[in-house]
Amino acid sequence: MTTRPAPVFGSASSFLFGSARKLWVDVALLSALGGVVFGLTRLAAEWTGALRPVFEIDLSPWALPYYAFLSLSRGLAAYALSLLFTLGYGYWAARDRAAEKILIPALDILQSIPVLGFMPGLVLALVATFPTSNVGLELASVIMIFTGQAWNMTFSFYHSLRSIPRDFQEVATLGRFGFWERFRWVDLPSAAIGLVWNSMMSMAGGWFFLMVSEAFVLGDRSFQLPGLGSYMSVAVARGDRPAMGAAVVAMVLMIVLLDQVLWRPVVVWAQKFRVDESGQAAEMHSWFLEVLRGSLLVAALKRRAARMALRLGRIRPERPAAPRRQRNVARMVQVASIGAMIGLLLLLGLGSVGLFRLFAKVDGASWRGIGWAAALTLGRVLLATILGTLWAVPAGLAIGLSPRLSRVLQPVVQVVASFPAPMLFPAVVAVLAAAGVGLGWGSVLLMLLGTQWYVLFNVVAGAMAIPADLREAARIYRVGTWKRFRVLYLPAVFPYLVTGWVTAAGGAWNASIVSEYVSFQGRELAADGLGARISVAASSGDFPALAASVAVMAVVVVLFNRLVWRRLHHLAEQRFSLSR
Amino acid sequence: MTEENRDPEILCELRHVDKEFDQAGGPPLRVLQGIDLAVHTNEVVALLGPSGCGKSTILRILAGLTTPTRGEVLDHGKPLDGLNPGIGFVFQSFALFPWMTVSRNVEAMLEARGLPKGEVTERAARAIQVVGLSGFEEAYPRELSGGMKQRVGMARAFSLEPEMLFMDEPFSQVDALTAESLRAEVLDVWAPKDRNPKSIVMVSHDIKEVVYMADRIVVLDAKPGRVRTIVENTLPRPRDYRSPGLLQLVDRLHDIITGMEMPDVAEAQGTDRVFEPLPHAGGGEIEGLLEYLDARGGREDVFRIAADIGREYGQIITATNAAELLGLVETPHRTVVLSSEGSRYVKASPAGRKAIFREKLLELLLFENVRLALGRAEGKRVDRDYVLELIALNLPSENFEATFETLVNWARFGDLFSYDDTNETLELSEEVLALG
Repeated sequence: MTTRPAPVFGSASSFLFGSARKLWVDVALLSALGGVVFGLTRLAAEWTGALRPVFEIDLSPWALPYYAFLSLSRGLAAYALSLLFTLGYGYWAARDRAAEKILIPALDILQSIPVLGFMPGLVLALVATFPTSNVGLELASVIMIFTGQAWNMTFSFYHSLRSIPRDFQEVATLGRFGFWERFRWVDLPSAAIGLVWNSMMSMAGGWFFLMVSEAFVLGDRSFQLPGLGSYMSVAVARGDRPAMGAAVVAMVLMIVLLDQVLWRPVVVWAQKFRVDESGQAAEMHSWFLEVLRGSLLVAALKRRAARMALRLGRIRPERPAAPRRQRNVARMVQVASIGAMIGLLLLLGLGSVGLFRLFAKVDGASWRGIGWAAALTLGRVLLATILGTLWAVPAGLAIGLSPRLSRVLQPVVQVVASFPAPMLFPAVVAVLAAAGVGLGWGSVLLMLLGTQWYVLFNVVAGAMAIPADLREAARIYRVGTWKRFRVLYLPAVFPYLVTGWVTAAGGAWNASIVSEYVSFQGRELAADGLGARISVAASSGDFPALAASVAVMAVVVVLFNRLVWRRLHHLAEQRFSLSR
Repeated sequence: MTEENRDPEILCELRHVDKEFDQAGGPPLRVLQGIDLAVHTNEVVALLGPSGCGKSTILRILAGLTTPTRGEVLDHGKPLDGLNPGIGFVFQSFALFPWMTVSRNVEAMLEARGLPKGEVTERAARAIQVVGLSGFEEAYPRELSGGMKQRVGMARAFSLEPEMLFMDEPFSQVDALTAESLRAEVLDVWAPKDRNPKSIVMVSHDIKEVVYMADRIVVLDAKPGRVRTIVENTLPRPRDYRSPGLLQLVDRLHDIITGMEMPDVAEAQGTDRVFEPLPHAGGGEIEGLLEYLDARGGREDVFRIAADIGREYGQIITATNAAELLGLVETPHRTVVLSSEGSRYVKASPAGRKAIFREKLLELLLFENVRLALGRAEGKRVDRDYVLELIALNLPSENFEATFETLVNWARFGDLFSYDDTNETLELSEEVLALG
């Protein structure tokens, strides 16, 4: 489809060469397609097989590709679910002023609930629904991964919809776009770029809890699905170092593959949805997208799709724009959304009644214990954020201010950041144990491993956005390094730093469930904290304690967001924004 | 009533239309008051007025994009129900979807109307050809210049062959030469009497443009927007910018605008003083105007100033009114003359200038009241909210937040009060405190 610049010499031979290359691409694509079909049949067999709570994991490295494939398909299924949820929930929140007032705070709370808070309900309900088939368990695992992916995508989509320029909306109104046309031509394109970046982040967020989502204990029942996460869990439990190493390598390969074959092409393709017209963003490339564009098969499929669309367009009936009909539709939508609201409120009401019944079983001493644990975890989260800031700010500035460094390091850092830190915890815990550091302090380091990247990314982005004339002014007036850092760099990246803090602290809270309670060589290491309490309560099936701990975590996280992060964010916007 | 009075020549009409916008924590702001306006067939109507007079709102009410607070909107004699069915709309900001090519941008409108595919492509191609963009069908908007983008906007509007073409400041973001040719092209498309668009309604702040294009010029007054007068323009077409008739009409419009925006007769000065509304011009603009006049012998025509420095005349009039309010200039007819106080200001040292500006500010009731409140207030500071309330009470038809911003700007410029944006409090400046 793309027209390459014609070479000066030998256009005839270059034509031959071009078609030969296309043929090679098509052969590769077809065989890949065959592989996917084969994989899907295996997957279907896996899903529809008889219920098998504990899959016997084979620690041979040859079993790894298949496990990785299973985990990958779970991750992708969860992502598809997240996308559907995002489009529905985000659209509803953005377009219905009344629902917005409930939906957005609810999203805030959902975001602050760690995956183990969802686990018991999901597993019990789904396994009860499918008592004989594996589907229930697989679905539970997929939804657990989903809870690590969906929320930030939904926030991004909602914000994009709310900030569509008024002119675009007026064009759509004057052009009498129907719902579908408005969605396809205005809403979705406006949200595309934010959605793509957040999808990448979400995918990483989903991998973070892969081990928890594939192998978990609920009271006296333990569950283990075939997959990369379970493989790692079993390898850790048996202390099999080569197997742990193999799992880490497989995970890295999977992340790199996804990055190259899925995210990079999508990011490059999404560039066409840029609204700002300055060509400042560096031109991005994806070899995979180039290859796809060179494929005859893909070109033929695209032509077919275009013809199909044409035929569909023809059979669509004439649609005279009658205001009365439009109003009828509007009224129907209104009734439907009020109905959905009532349903939602009912659900919330039932949920809170159930929750309070559970709370009633928790005694005063336990509440005090949970409060103290919350304070401990809050301290760890803040410490991890501070430590992350201490190294990530100088490093981020160094990377962001040097075009050469950022070109080389940016892709590497992206892959490293997508790697689920819990897979490295056993190694770190071993080192900590050897050094005589307990998990009380050690868990801070574990949290840091997972969340420092958010600070780094944001500082890099902030440093890259510092206007060249401000840097030149600092040089001309011979502002010294330390002073330059204080009067220019730090204030300039501050708004980005706040965004990084919010994300990092949120991640650290969620990560506390795996960093305050670690299985290591058949032993359970724990440090008192809210995360450890949640993990213990979930695995021992103590639902009142679980509900109380999760609720306290949600309250603390939401309060902290409102009282601290939001104020800092406001300050950053008011005082340190470079775009105002 | 409506049916009896129905005139087939009238395409759409506003009757006694008011429009108010809610202000957060204040009285609703009235932007339009008692607008009566009819658009006849085969005419070009232009709405002329300074920024903020509500002319774009009038266009959006006629289009059905927004509804009036009070009054009637008629379409072919019947009350308008929803969107006006027979219009094409050209936006000041072009409003092209950046993710669609030129032809997709046009085709999307036609597809949304449910036209069959063949007709969609055919009509889009014709509209693109009419605006002279053949060859650019597959280009994306970001690859086009401002003028080309507006051509796409016009093709989009023409493609549906609407009865009326609405244009909201269509050429203000297009370079001057391209705007010249676009004006002529729009008139060419409109000229055949038997084809759509039959009429054009355009919004503009460019007097020459309006005189070149329109048959009727609706001159609007600001705060709240009202129809000041309607000027008939019977100059023969095609028009020539240098023809005596056209220049005369431009001159007449200048007189109307200055008569309305810069009245010579001071409003009746009763015994009880009223709060003076603050024209929203910055201190730096006022000072710049004084310097400009000083360098040109102390007097100049207000429209000449606007043309000279390439700004909208409304902005120059605002700055002039601000300077006049402070007694730094006088405005006989449409000339701006440096007053003796103004001359004193220009000749003064920086500190002297501040002192004069301060002294002039305190002659205004609003500043005097804030000064008194500061004297009484505990801790010698007052909250932004207190001042906002003072403005809302005494200047109910003003946008109180904009007035507050102007107050802070002038007070800082004259080093009278200082304002802390983080705590949102005003206090006397150190300079004033030192003077006692």
